[in-house]
Amino acid sequence: MTADNTARPIPTRRDLLRMIGLTAGGAAMYQAMSALGFAAESPYRGPIDLRGAPRGASVLILGAGMAGMTAAYELRNAGYHVQVLEYNPRAGGRNWSLRGGDVYTELGGATQHCRFDDGLYINPGPWRIPYHHRGLLGYCRRLGVALEAFVQVNYNAYLHSSSAFGGRPRRYREIKGDYQGHVAELLAKVVRQSALDVSVSKEDQERLLESLRDWGALDGNYAYTAGEPSSRRRGYEKNPGGGLSARPVPSNPIGLSDILESGLWQGVAAGDDFDMQTTLFEPVGGMGRIGEAFGRELGSIIRYDAKVVSIHQDAAGVSVAYQDRTNPGSGHLTARADWCVCTIPLPILAEIPMNVGAPMRAAIAAVPYAAAVKVGLQFKRRFWEEDEAIYGGITYTDLPITNIGYPNTGYQSPGKGVLLGAYIWGLNAMEFTAMAPQERVQRAVDYGARIHPQYHHEFDNGIAVAWHRSPFTMGCFGMWSPESRARHYDDLCRIDGRIALAGEHASYIGGWQEGAVTSALDAISRLHRLAVAQGEKA
Amino acid sequence: MSPRSRRIALGSLGAVALVAAAALSAGNDAAFTSTAGLGDADGAQIYSHICQGCHMAQGQGAVGAGYYPELAGDRSLASWRYIALTVLDGRNGMPPFGLPSSQAWEIRAAHLSDAQVADVVNYVRTHFGNHYQGTVSAAQVAALPHPGIGGAH
Repeated sequence: MTADNTARPIPTRRDLLRMIGLTAGGAAMYQAMSALGFAAESPYRGPIDLRGAPRGASVLILGAGMAGMTAAYELRNAGYHVQVLEYNPRAGGRNWSLRGGDVYTELGGATQHCRFDDGLYINPGPWRIPYHHRGLLGYCRRLGVALEAFVQVNYNAYLHSSSAFGGRPRRYREIKGDYQGHVAELLAKVVRQSALDVSVSKEDQERLLESLRDWGALDGNYAYTAGEPSSRRRGYEKNPGGGLSARPVPSNPIGLSDILESGLWQGVAAGDDFDMQTTLFEPVGGMGRIGEAFGRELGSIIRYDAKVVSIHQDAAGVSVAYQDRTNPGSGHLTARADWCVCTIPLPILAEIPMNVGAPMRAAIAAVPYAAAVKVGLQFKRRFWEEDEAIYGGITYTDLPITNIGYPNTGYQSPGKGVLLGAYIWGLNAMEFTAMAPQERVQRAVDYGARIHPQYHHEFDNGIAVAWHRSPFTMGCFGMWSPESRARHYDDLCRIDGRIALAGEHASYIGGWQEGAVTSALDAISRLHRLAVAQGEKA
Repeated sequence: MSPRSRRIALGSLGAVALVAAAALSAGNDAAFTSTAGLGDADGAQIYSHICQGCHMAQGQGAVGAGYYPELAGDRSLASWRYIALTVLDGRNGMPPFGLPSSQAWEIRAAHLSDAQVADVVNYVRTHFGNHYQGTVSAAQVAALPHPGIGGAH
């Protein structure tokens, strides 16, 4: 333990927030800091009831992402005539996995060929599903999408600060065990010095002491020391074994001051937030399996390679002009329906002529889209498992890559393996976006090598997705501020004539697929009521 | 502690949140500007580290399902005020860069000082074949409305 508190940078509050942001997917950090920070359980309450669709009523859906396909699936099942226009040649939108053989061309024209081995992938967009995202989980069940566990917290993965412990990463179990042990010891001291006599009864003080010993792995004297109790939490210097070499050697805890100075305590609560609690899921074979299953289910309802050019509603319906991207010289085609559910991401929708009222127009223009970058790296072997016993989960670092995500599947497979080598937000994401893809990959390798020295020797190939360069979203997801949400959110969600908007941007679960699903269900419920009311008039 | 109370506790940190981050202790890496207001990055650096992510290296913009405007030959650049307001407020999905640091991080944007906004506006108005007259000063940018709570609205 060092006594020199001034010699090293003190962890700052911003570092803490940064770590939370990295811990959380999408909007969790934003929510933590905004007045909107409530842990909202999904409002999903089982399959939607859309009985009574007017005979012959039709709905045109723009976008075959999670919101659009949720809407299409339910409206079709309810008896509506449904057509979907999708810009990409595939279903899913941001629900997407990149696998060997895939080709991705970003805005600006850079084309990457994914050269991962069979069965290996990264999810450039969402990668985990909390257990309480019951809408999305419900569609996985109905569509037959197999799930497996997503490991959010791996006690043997690392917490890493480039300025602490000589830049060497520490195991999560060491930091968590030691932080918790020291805090428990301090609180036990306070109790035993009778400092809590006023606020805690004698009986409760006894129970509290016992619970602190249990919670903090304290010894018989309520101290957190090197020994059997602490090693059972933080790990041993030499693990217990069998035979003559069996005797374990306890490890030495890191001192409280070093833990505090390192800032690594910021990563201890990584799995405590509602969005990050066990159990989390991922689809077997990649997140994109959901979009693919939806696409198969909807079949020819979806018209792919259709770039929406304009959206026009009149008294009787909605007409959408679009261009067939496979035939760029051709003129515009037109699709028409009684109603329209538009899930086009707002930066794109803002540029498409559409005759809606000023409030919805203003709302569409009011939401900036987040910069985010993911880099997938294939290595010649699964060294993180073979050398370091890291099976799934996430390492957090203060380096610009911020995350290293280990595959939560295919454990102990021979052959190559793919890591998520970077998952970046904010300014660093903007900077990575401004680089050529191969430079993003190279930097992810260089930074990651500071944590895993095997990187340079084992690296095989990589692919990098910068969401502001995504031709079909122009950003990762909508970032509502408390002010913009107060001013514009209801106007965005309210149906304008015959047009309803849906997507994660029209939800309070921004950046999560559940936001897209629940926003679509909410929008089509309202649209259905309008259609039924109009059908009765007709 | 419940998730809710924890989040609320964190919320109180917002106002001071951005101060550090030069920390990007990766900071030794010259390719990365500091997150504390981008250090002293000038217009050219800000363009190549941030703007070109969308508007591209030669200001040529890009077209997909939507488009990023071309800055080369863009007539709207004739109005320095229009461009400065765009940088400060964002536009159609473009993040705002005029939020105070604390609020910028809330929406994962970045904060530029008024001098940096002026510098990057001057940069795009005089590059990519653009030759618009008149240099914008930090004071002129400071006089414009800024977004965010406590901004000059």
